[in-house]
Amino acid sequence: MSSPLLQVEELRKYFPIRGGLLRGVKAQVKAVDGVSLVLQPGQTYGLVGESGCGKSTLGRSIIRLYEPTAGKVMLDGADITHLSRNEMLPYRERMQMIFQDPYASLSPRRTVSQTLREPLDIHNKGDRDTRDKRVRELLDVVGMSQRALNRYPHEFSGGQRQRIGIARALALNPRLIIADEPVSALDVSVQSQVLNLVADLQREHGIAFLFIAHDLAVIQHVSDRIGVMYLGKIVEATDSQTLYAHPKHPYTRALLSAIPLPEPGRKRSRIVLGGDVPSPANPPGGCPFHPRCPDAMDRCRTEIPAPRELGTPAAPHEVSCHLYD
Amino acid sequence: MNAAAEELDPVGLSDAAPESLWTKGLYKFRRDRVGMWSFAVVLLYVGIALGVWLGFWATGWADLAGGKWEPVSGAHWFGTNIIGQDIFDRAIYSTKTSFEVGLVVAVLATALGAILGAIAGFFSGSWLDELILWLMGVLDSIPFLLFVAAIAYTLQSIPEISKYSMHIAMIVTFWITAGRLVRGEVIKLKEMEYVDAAHALGVPEYTIIFRHILPNTAHILLVQATITFVAAIKSEVILSFLGLGVKDSMSWGLMISESSQEVLAGFFNNFLAASVLLFGLVMAFNLFSDALQDALDPRTVAD
Amino acid sequence: MAEPLLRVRDLAIEFDTQYGTVRAVDGVSFDIYPEETVGLVGESGCGKTVTGLSLLGLIPKPPGRIAAGSIEFGGRDLATASEEELRTIRGSEISMIFQEPMTALNPVFTIGNQMADVLARHKGLTDSQARTEAIEMLGRVGIPSPARRVDEYPHQLSGGQRQRVMIAMALSCNPKLLIADEPTTALDVTTQAQVLEQINKLQEEFRMAVILITHDLGVVAETCQRALVMYCGKVAEQAPIEELFAQPRHPYTAGLLSSIPRIREDRPEHLPIIAGRVPDLLHLPAGCRFAARCERALDRCQTEQPELGEKTASAACFNPVPV
Repeated sequence: MSSPLLQVEELRKYFPIRGGLLRGVKAQVKAVDGVSLVLQPGQTYGLVGESGCGKSTLGRSIIRLYEPTAGKVMLDGADITHLSRNEMLPYRERMQMIFQDPYASLSPRRTVSQTLREPLDIHNKGDRDTRDKRVRELLDVVGMSQRALNRYPHEFSGGQRQRIGIARALALNPRLIIADEPVSALDVSVQSQVLNLVADLQREHGIAFLFIAHDLAVIQHVSDRIGVMYLGKIVEATDSQTLYAHPKHPYTRALLSAIPLPEPGRKRSRIVLGGDVPSPANPPGGCPFHPRCPDAMDRCRTEIPAPRELGTPAAPHEVSCHLYD
Repeated sequence: MNAAAEELDPVGLSDAAPESLWTKGLYKFRRDRVGMWSFAVVLLYVGIALGVWLGFWATGWADLAGGKWEPVSGAHWFGTNIIGQDIFDRAIYSTKTSFEVGLVVAVLATALGAILGAIAGFFSGSWLDELILWLMGVLDSIPFLLFVAAIAYTLQSIPEISKYSMHIAMIVTFWITAGRLVRGEVIKLKEMEYVDAAHALGVPEYTIIFRHILPNTAHILLVQATITFVAAIKSEVILSFLGLGVKDSMSWGLMISESSQEVLAGFFNNFLAASVLLFGLVMAFNLFSDALQDALDPRTVAD
Repeated sequence: MAEPLLRVRDLAIEFDTQYGTVRAVDGVSFDIYPEETVGLVGESGCGKTVTGLSLLGLIPKPPGRIAAGSIEFGGRDLATASEEELRTIRGSEISMIFQEPMTALNPVFTIGNQMADVLARHKGLTDSQARTEAIEMLGRVGIPSPARRVDEYPHQLSGGQRQRVMIAMALSCNPKLLIADEPTTALDVTTQAQVLEQINKLQEEFRMAVILITHDLGVVAETCQRALVMYCGKVAEQAPIEELFAQPRHPYTAGLLSSIPRIREDRPEHLPIIAGRVPDLLHLPAGCRFAARCERALDRCQTEQPELGEKTASAACFNPVPV
């Protein structure tokens, strides 16, 4: 196996809740609570979970938009967890991000060409002409006409803006792109266009993706490996086929059965979970999923399950659940 | 270049010319009747002030052109004052004074507010933010007139600066509103994903503030500048009336101050000329400022 | 079949924009029968939400207005009804729930206060009666310990619970028709499953008709008996669910269905797509609005507008996908 592009070890990100007279730390929101994952070059790791599970925080901690509280992030074998702003700069060329909201991810008073040039300017790529050429090339790559150059974001539709955001992420030829819900704000027909674009980019440029989404169907479509997150932890991780064919964790199973299928009449045994996702500021003791789990046992209430390998070395399948102890 | 992609244009762009948010705002503003009329009145005042500045008219504002309290006539359109100076010339000349004070104060106070507010907002919660907030609080708590008097008193030994003590006092006071507005807006804007994108690209922090965040507060700044402009010319009139403002020049405030005895004697020309011109300018500018606010509001412009 | 509860004919809704007048809904006709659930499906900007709002007279005027057509409900034409008439119908006979329950609830009043307000207005209940009724309704929509929840504020509830509260308020006067505008779009998938199940259950319990406005074909497939697919202000196709999903006739419906990513064994490299994008409402083509993106377009489609047939399953298309 080749050496991994991205390695995350026991990453934690806690947000302090301040309060009281002296603004002391009252509690911690454990948004990401000990996550490990490995991403090989050119592969896609899909991170799926419901809102508040910490998947976006994990992505942002990896690219250092947030300072991790503990743990390690390694890119190409180099530990980047505690690099300063300047030391981080060369790694930002290799690692970029695509955002969720196409209406908020582009600076409204800057033209497309200004937006696309900025990464080249910051990282001193080539002279004026090379940069101009690169900007045009980028529009081409994401399937947009050169007429877009001098336009402002508000003149584009959601799908077009998302393409511009992707072009910006591609400007520096990154090897890893963290895509945070890149299609969830788009209409179905536009969503498939953007997913195809992502697939093409991956094939042609060998870019690895950390693909974050709440939509299991989208995640399955794009991912090689998938991690299911619940309350700051990855509860199940395996390759995409196995996860859907043989889900092990009760949460994964419930999640899968909850997707409304565009196939009327096909009756499924649906596992409808009771209640809501608990607040990460005050997670339940024991297994975080036990209050909603249809299979909860006594020990689930007290003991946090450790990740357990159920697969083979060739096809790893990690599950954190007492059912498999 | 890839001609095929160009031709296909798979994403389909509209054919309209590129249009910035400013262009859209301008379009909206042009359809605002009240806004356009008030803008025309403001332009008229600007023309008058420019003419004074270039020496086209009102050059004789200090001359003794006639007798005491002459009535309205062809020679003296608004009559003359107690020592025989032409009131029309003095009122017109004061327009220049107002614009001078208004522009200097509006531009500098807004710029100062923008910079300090943006820094405070971007680093909100840090010591820098605390410091700027503390400064705002302190300056805000000093009564305005006392503050002007104090600055005038402090600066009186340096004549080149002391004539600007009114300007300085106003700038030091008026930036706070702009600063608070910008701070609040920046706190909101810095959570936007395009700011995250800039961080992810490694754009330096101060470039993020001044290139990505501050331009998006431009509509607030422009409107705030027009409001500060009005506040400044009104304050100038009050300060000049109290003798704390304009010296060695003419202003509507000084005219009203002069007129306080004349009014008792039943002569209203000085008072009326100054107040009507002041009222016209303030009114027009306020309406203009409202229209500008409506036209530039990004929530409605971006639709 | 029974008499329709709601009969919409040739509905057209216009909005004034700075660039001119836009027809957001253009010649939409449909019937809703008692106790059925009908999906109004389409992508953003297709006019589905505006159509839903117009049924309650909730189009913001200005800039919007109903330019033509009729909305018959219980012997009245809601398109021309006065604001006063509409107000008595709203909440009591037709209710609506929205996508974002947080913005639809007033943050400074308790859940109970807001529910009691509705009950007092439409049913003339006293404060204590209204409170009892509110608690009962909260229980019926599946809120745990309703007697305690009734005194809580909206921010104390989760998104799914807030949507349940909205449903409880909407149903508190036994409406004949519930319009649900993207009721689960802001919710997580496990919560969505709960809420949809609840709506289905309540629909039977309250014997009301439901118009479910959504962009999610999966949601439609699981909850509706019939659906109307809208595109660019017009109804492109209407059909019973089984037919619509098994044999879509309109190329747009077919394209939409095939472009949804699905969980399956074989993973296609590319998803089928609908090329291009929705035309700008200000510059609509002369012919079929889908023609420029349509693989089956004929010459005729460029110049003539296809009409939707009267049948329960029909597509507004000159060259429909063969069965």
